[in-house]
Amino acid sequence: MTITVCIKWVLPNRDGDERFAGISLADQAAVETGLSVAEALNDTCTVVTVGPPAAEASLRDALACGAHDVVRIDGSADTDSAETARLLAEHCVHSRFIVCGDYSADRGSGSVPALIAARLERGQALGLIDVRIVGESLSVVRRLDGGRREKLSIVGPAVISVEGSVARLRRASLRATLAAGEAHINVITNDGSGALRRNPETVPPRPYRPRARVVPSPSGSSALDRVRQITDTSSSKGHGETVVLSPEDAASRILESLRAWGYLADSAT
Amino acid sequence: MSSTARIERDNAWPEISFEERIGTAEFRIHEKAHITVNGDSCRGCTTRECVVACPANLFVPTSDGGILFNYENCFECGTCYLVCNKEGAISWTYPEGGYGIVFHRT
Amino acid sequence: MMTSPTQHDADIIVVGAGPAGSCAAIAAARAGKSVILIERGPFPGSKNMYGGVVYPRILDELVPSWWETMPVQRWVVKRSTMLLSDSGALNIDFRANSWGAPPYNGATAYRPDFDNWLANHAVEAGARLVCSTTVTGLLRDSNGRIQGVSTDRPDGDLHAPIVIACDGVNSFLAKQSGLYPHTDASNFTLGVKETLALPKHVIDERFGVRDNLGVDIEILGGTSGVNGGGFIYTNLDTIALGVVLKLPKLAAQQKRPEQIIAELKRHPAIAPLIEGAEVKEYSAHVIPEAGLDMMPTMVADGMLVAGDAAAMCLAAGIWLEGVNFAMASGMYAGQAAAEAIAKNDVSSRGLSGYTDRLEKSFVLRDHRKLRKVPHLVLSDRVQHKYPAFVAGVVERVFRVDNPHPKPGVRRIVREERKKAGIGLLDLLRDGWTGMRGFG
Ligand SMILES: Cc1cc2nc3c(=O)[nH]c(=O)nc-3n(C[C@H](O)[C@H](O)[C@H](O)COP(=O)(O)OP(=O)(O)OC[C@H]3O[C@@H](n4cnc5c(N)ncnc54)[C@H](O)[C@@H]3O)c2cc1C
Ligand code: SF4
Ligand code: SF4
Repeated sequence: MTITVCIKWVLPNRDGDERFAGISLADQAAVETGLSVAEALNDTCTVVTVGPPAAEASLRDALACGAHDVVRIDGSADTDSAETARLLAEHCVHSRFIVCGDYSADRGSGSVPALIAARLERGQALGLIDVRIVGESLSVVRRLDGGRREKLSIVGPAVISVEGSVARLRRASLRATLAAGEAHINVITNDGSGALRRNPETVPPRPYRPRARVVPSPSGSSALDRVRQITDTSSSKGHGETVVLSPEDAASRILESLRAWGYLADSAT
Repeated sequence: MSSTARIERDNAWPEISFEERIGTAEFRIHEKAHITVNGDSCRGCTTRECVVACPANLFVPTSDGGILFNYENCFECGTCYLVCNKEGAISWTYPEGGYGIVFHRT
Repeated sequence: MMTSPTQHDADIIVVGAGPAGSCAAIAAARAGKSVILIERGPFPGSKNMYGGVVYPRILDELVPSWWETMPVQRWVVKRSTMLLSDSGALNIDFRANSWGAPPYNGATAYRPDFDNWLANHAVEAGARLVCSTTVTGLLRDSNGRIQGVSTDRPDGDLHAPIVIACDGVNSFLAKQSGLYPHTDASNFTLGVKETLALPKHVIDERFGVRDNLGVDIEILGGTSGVNGGGFIYTNLDTIALGVVLKLPKLAAQQKRPEQIIAELKRHPAIAPLIEGAEVKEYSAHVIPEAGLDMMPTMVADGMLVAGDAAAMCLAAGIWLEGVNFAMASGMYAGQAAAEAIAKNDVSSRGLSGYTDRLEKSFVLRDHRKLRKVPHLVLSDRVQHKYPAFVAGVVERVFRVDNPHPKPGVRRIVREERKKAGIGLLDLLRDGWTGMRGFG
């Protein structure tokens, strides 16, 4: 289950010239948040944008900073929010966390994260001013009216959007920058029928399945012993862990574990 | 202070204030200053070359004889360290790669 | 000298993707060497500002049919030199319509466009370009031999047997390598400029040009008593107007750069040209002005210096050229570096093909010829007395003072010379230096 960061590459209205284009501070903070959440949860981080080929410059930056994969969904720089959210949502179905910037460099409405959450029927926490990783969940702070703050604990899958102050994007190493300059960028073309098509060089996304586990061949003198060894749960040295939790927490913990092991569809909340 | 008081500021060409002028250039500001000015060295400086010469007008004399320096809208031109006669008053580097002045139509 | 056993990231590292660096990278990459080109700006050209005209002859060797793709504002077909006194002006025009067709003589262009375009050619030739990366120093081995550069990125050291410093006028690499011992402010001028927006047809009308043809005006005098000069160049829908100010004088005159621009803009000969124009961008950059007299040693073991970093700019009154010198010196440095790698000798002797090429080309020939000119043009006499003198002479020659008969030119010259306070000997001496330099 990957962490997906959605960024918006924006042409400045000053010159409309792509050399001056880029992503907002909030989007940069989103990339940094996505990378550190993925690191802490031992997960992968994918950065996605809907934009023209020139937007790949920002994706290369993200790759250089450590994103495991980057994807450009082909579209013009001024694709509207609903369409952007539709395209992104389609790509984020299997993400544990979807991280967006709270505003784009052109100061749009900031509605894309909410629209993605709605499409995927995910929980959402938008406009965060602090994000911390606690165990497998996120402890976040969001600003409320009247100077109040709300603290939330988020267990994925969920959509969050962050303000620029949440994190400063790390500086990519020189070697990673050199490598990213030559890396292949996955492009998904939008053929107008509403369906997304990956460019041929890349592996198409597939539904998540539990990872195959290698079970050693059983040892034992009789057939019965060998069958017992495979089926007897009491001898399993698997995920043994005892936790004492309130019923609600226990329920979410069970769901979380099932999800982590791949037994649940990702959209189950 | 007398030397700097003689400098007429922009009022000779009133169409555009210095703020507007500097506002026409794009600066990508890094949180860390790339140039720092050592106030102690400046206190004894009577010539104040930097105040006159810095094209971005970033050196401002303070009433107590010091210099107030702000690195943010800097052209990274090098004028200040070239004109300053005091060893050690200005420590000058380029900002981190990607930050600082970005010219458009120059 | 043998190349060291260190694992190299490339054969050649070029620092700075200005005209010098990009041409060095093009030349070296074309010769089959692996090249990394490092630029501190977010893209090539983003840190670079100049007056406005590229003299592109050297590009004939590097980019065939360059004029078909180069981002040009206007082709310069008219070159003027303006002598400004307080209220008068003498304009010497030269117009060559042939300059408006291939192979062209000069073009106005924006540096963020031009440098970016040139760097793309380096990338096409196979150089690897890394932007947003500031080189912070030279790497040396235990014997002090240059081994590459360090940068401000994590894991940012890069190793190569040859470093070409094309890092512009402030060149910290040339300074750090010990090639550039001192920085004397009197060798530098500060250029400040305004990019002024006007509709294209207004520019066409005021400057007497049309289509994509343009004008280059160099100005002597008019810099409010600060030694220097000015320039006006036409872009498609902007005018570049600026002044070039001698640093120690600027600081001593207590007049700020933008004030001096403002005064130039109000001069009766200039004001009508720019009336109603809006400031689009204000910019500043330093120029190495003293030419040959300030050039550093340009070759060391494992290192070459080119372009402004080696003070190869010709800033002498009616000339303001540097991009062409930078492109040529960069190209020669790239060729010499490739040669040195091929023969496995990166010592200064192995790299001496660079200075040989410079000596044979216009780069050092022009600089030798004009050695004294920058100091002459920026001298107090030429700056403060000659413009008024010449303008005075011309004004009186053309003045119709009927019924008085016209005085002889000789008498006018004598009277005006005295009025301007110029000694006859000085006039002769400057004339001699000028003739040797300019002629
Ligand atoms: C006001 C003014 C007017 C001028 N007018 C003209 C004109 O009309 N015509 C003309 O031909 N010339 C003109 N010149 C001169 C011309 O601009 C220069 O001679 C020319 O730009 C030199 O090219 P360069 O490649 O050597 O250096 P630059 O163009 O200065 O390029 C140096 C590059 O190195 C990069 N760099 C610097 N340090 C580092 C580092 N540590 N790490 C990584 N990158 C670094 C910089 O970002 C820059 O891109 C003018 C100059 C000025 C200032
Ligand atoms: S920076 Fe230098 S010139 Fe400016 S006040 Fe300080 S000592 Fe004087
Ligand atoms: S580098 Fe230039 S713009 Fe920046 S502070 Fe110094 S003089 Fe001013």
